[in-house]
Amino acid sequence: MELLILRRRKILAEKGRDLLEEKRDALIMEFRDVLEKMYKIREEVNESLKEAFKELSEVKMLIGPLILEEIANNIPQALELEVKMRNIMGVRVPLLKVKERQDQEVMLYSFIDTSSKLDTTIKKFREALRAILRLAEIEGAVRRLAEEIKKTKRRVNALKYVIIPKIENTIRYIEFYLEEMEREDFFRLKRIKSLLERKSEERIEAAI
Amino acid sequence: MEIAVIADQDTAIGFKLAGVGLIYPVTSVEEARRTLERLSKRDDIGTIIITERIADGLRDIIKELYKKTSLIIVEIPDKHGPIEREVDPIRELIRTTLGVEIKFKKAKE
Repeated sequence: MELLILRRRKILAEKGRDLLEEKRDALIMEFRDVLEKMYKIREEVNESLKEAFKELSEVKMLIGPLILEEIANNIPQALELEVKMRNIMGVRVPLLKVKERQDQEVMLYSFIDTSSKLDTTIKKFREALRAILRLAEIEGAVRRLAEEIKKTKRRVNALKYVIIPKIENTIRYIEFYLEEMEREDFFRLKRIKSLLERKSEERIEAAI
Repeated sequence: MEIAVIADQDTAIGFKLAGVGLIYPVTSVEEARRTLERLSKRDDIGTIIITERIADGLRDIIKELYKKTSLIIVEIPDKHGPIEREVDPIRELIRTTLGVEIKFKKAKE
């Protein structure tokens, strides 16, 4: 009975292992795709930040750091983040969406104190920020996927190298034991038979 | 959700101009650590942007935050450009997950 249950469990474990292996391979493929994208976006971020910093230092020279700081302090918060979750093969990865408030066209600083460089700086930093948020999104995805891959790998290995061999060992042991029992029974029967035969012979001899 | 920036003075001003609401200019790693700890307790923050130079000093706490929360911490280069690091955290992560090192070609100009 136990043997039958164990055999069934072995089949189940093997099926589970195959499924998990498939999942792991699929995840790794997805992971590679995401990674490639991440490196591209990273490059973009570096590039746009470099430009933004160049503009910033020019503005700083043109209008002076103190005034610049004052202007910066007066700029209201214009961006809001919306975090949603997306599903990649059962892994929840973040999806970021930036919402810009529409009342941005209002002048926030005077023309007289500032130069047009300030406008381009702001634009450049906005661009950089958008790229950074895309990077954030994809890095989040990379991290989650990596975690899931690790988990799946661990499970596959546990099934492959621990659970399935254990079940196989137990099955082998039970089979061996059953065979042993069969042999013992066989010999016991033989022995009884010979005993009985000897007894009956004795009886026959006694009768004679 | 909000975006928060922990950075040096110049980077902070830049992002302030871009309209980010929560800006924390810091001058020392200690200060950055305190700020990050405080920010991680708030639950209305979705993303924290940190410059690479500062983040390098906070590696341990960032790692812990990744384990505990769903916060996204993104590291950006500062005005001196990206720094060459011995252990790039993302590359390290890839190495431990895949068991192999992958190199990607740089995006074409």
